[in-house]
Amino acid sequence: MTAIDSELKILLEKPLNHLVERAINEGMIPIGYACSMVPEALISVGKLFPVSMRAPGSEGTEMADLYLSSVICTYARSLLEFALDDRYKFLGGYVFTAGCDHLRRLHDNLDYLKKPGFSYILDIPHKTGGAALEWTIEEITRLASALEKQFDTDMSRESINKAIEKTNALNRALSAIGTLRKSKHPPFTGTQYHRLIMASRVSPAEYMMPLIEKFRKTAEDSEGRSEYRARLMITGSGLDDPEYTNIIESQGALVVADRYCSGSFPGLEPLDSSSNPFEALARRTLEVTRCPRMMEGFNSRAEYIAQIAEEYSADGVIIESIKFCDTWGLESAALTDQLRAKGIPVLRVEREYRQSGEGQLRTRVQAFIESIGH
Amino acid sequence: MIQKYYGGCDIGSTTGKAVIIENTGIILGSSIVHREIDPEVTAALALEQALKNIPEINSIKDLAYLVGTGYGRSEISFASENISEISCHAMGAFFCDRSIKTIVDIGGQDVKGISINDDGTVKEFAMNDKCAAGTGRFFEAMARIFRMDLADFSDLSLNARDLIPVTAQCSVFAETEVISLLAGKNPPESIAAGVQNAVAKRCFMLLKRVGIIPKVTITGGCAKNRGLIKALEKALQEKIAPLSVDPQIIGALGAALYAKKRESR
Repeated sequence: MTAIDSELKILLEKPLNHLVERAINEGMIPIGYACSMVPEALISVGKLFPVSMRAPGSEGTEMADLYLSSVICTYARSLLEFALDDRYKFLGGYVFTAGCDHLRRLHDNLDYLKKPGFSYILDIPHKTGGAALEWTIEEITRLASALEKQFDTDMSRESINKAIEKTNALNRALSAIGTLRKSKHPPFTGTQYHRLIMASRVSPAEYMMPLIEKFRKTAEDSEGRSEYRARLMITGSGLDDPEYTNIIESQGALVVADRYCSGSFPGLEPLDSSSNPFEALARRTLEVTRCPRMMEGFNSRAEYIAQIAEEYSADGVIIESIKFCDTWGLESAALTDQLRAKGIPVLRVEREYRQSGEGQLRTRVQAFIESIGH
Repeated sequence: MIQKYYGGCDIGSTTGKAVIIENTGIILGSSIVHREIDPEVTAALALEQALKNIPEINSIKDLAYLVGTGYGRSEISFASENISEISCHAMGAFFCDRSIKTIVDIGGQDVKGISINDDGTVKEFAMNDKCAAGTGRFFEAMARIFRMDLADFSDLSLNARDLIPVTAQCSVFAETEVISLLAGKNPPESIAAGVQNAVAKRCFMLLKRVGIIPKVTITGGCAKNRGLIKALEKALQEKIAPLSVDPQIIGALGAALYAKKRESR
């Protein structure tokens, strides 16, 4: 597992990794996105490919702090800092959603300070239902037209369906590996799987597939892990740094499941490629992402997490949220109560986007594992 | 019955503490030493001092089991195991008084609220974030501004007729605020009462997150701060139960008790 893990680590060291570079050299166009509500499949059509925006190794947000207020989360600020440092110059454009105020402000500032060749923000309703679906289909159709015009990419239904198939194939491959975590002795750590998922979110699908296959084969040949003290699930706001999972696992835990933006649940659920692709993409955004920004559906979101925790035999759940994240800040309070009422031990932690307070996190996780009797 | 000895070593950010117990749980030796740069050196010094007056034990090697705790716990290579200070404080306080249900632990660089189960294990806990406001470091800075030692500063607020509100949200802001208040010739004891009150409020918020169930006690170095205890009792509307053992060594005591449990597993 060490060899493939090292390959994945390299892909996560900087936004412009060697696979993205290779794709650009071959005429492909990377499109950045920062919210799981962005329909990834639509920015995978033809020569386009999605790149989840991260700020690996961020050392501070001095410049971004001038433009974004102190109550904007450090994820948005770190991305702006990276953009100001031209670390995202390689992108052909950005697609945002009005997912939360923090990302909206990031979009405004990027538009103002570093106007990219292409920038689009999707307006997504906070409710599901007929009217919301209709609205979202229209929004996604508009985005498709804008992408077609800007990048001269065929956005016919057939092309989009083909991109959906491609995204589904990638997600199915990742998901098949993920289910191995149900085993009593999974053949890889949560950190290694986190790296695999994140590398797949920042690299073109075509070039990731061989690496995913290599990971799968290595996992098949590896011995199961039995040296853990507790099986944990992580849930919460966007967590794109596998080192966070690593700190948790350094305390004797094995992270067996996750539910956060850019994670494996519900992000890997396949889309319907047989029907109207715009409707399939809109349904994914509205119904599958299960984002707490939606005004309704708290019970079903909580139930979903409890169900995964049970399926993967998690001994407890860690709810993490980035400081000032309104969406997860509110959700995590109610979620903690709901999960505890079901008898699931919960540790709630706030964090910054950039890795800090490592010692305190270690103490919290260790005490949590001890408190659940392991 | 063969007499066995167990050690607990709590390496905090300011001090290192060690406790040695025997089979029955009786404390044979304890120590509090200043922190060295290397946590392992601090641990060795603390243990050496705790063992000094126990003729039956020549060295750390004679301990049947040693548990390390505190922020430097993972650096003690000669410990049999490390356990979080949250679990150790809970077990230590429970050992002293089985009716303790809630603990506020104020150490050198963090504050913790802990609620405990009927067997001394942790039920729920909450910690302050990275900021050191309201911790031992904060009190050290305050005492320095008042040009007092910690013990005198702790008692200063006890004679206050009134309190002058001070923020404890940030150590740096609090420092500048207190300097201005002193320069404005406000009564020092009233400013000190404001400082203690602000820290007590922070503890109250933390304890609210874990639930305040009597008896409540305080552990850690700051448990010796009488002004803070008075302010805490006011904020919690609850008496702070004193412990039979020095509250600063409760973490190390809990670690020693866990050592005994672990060895007999």
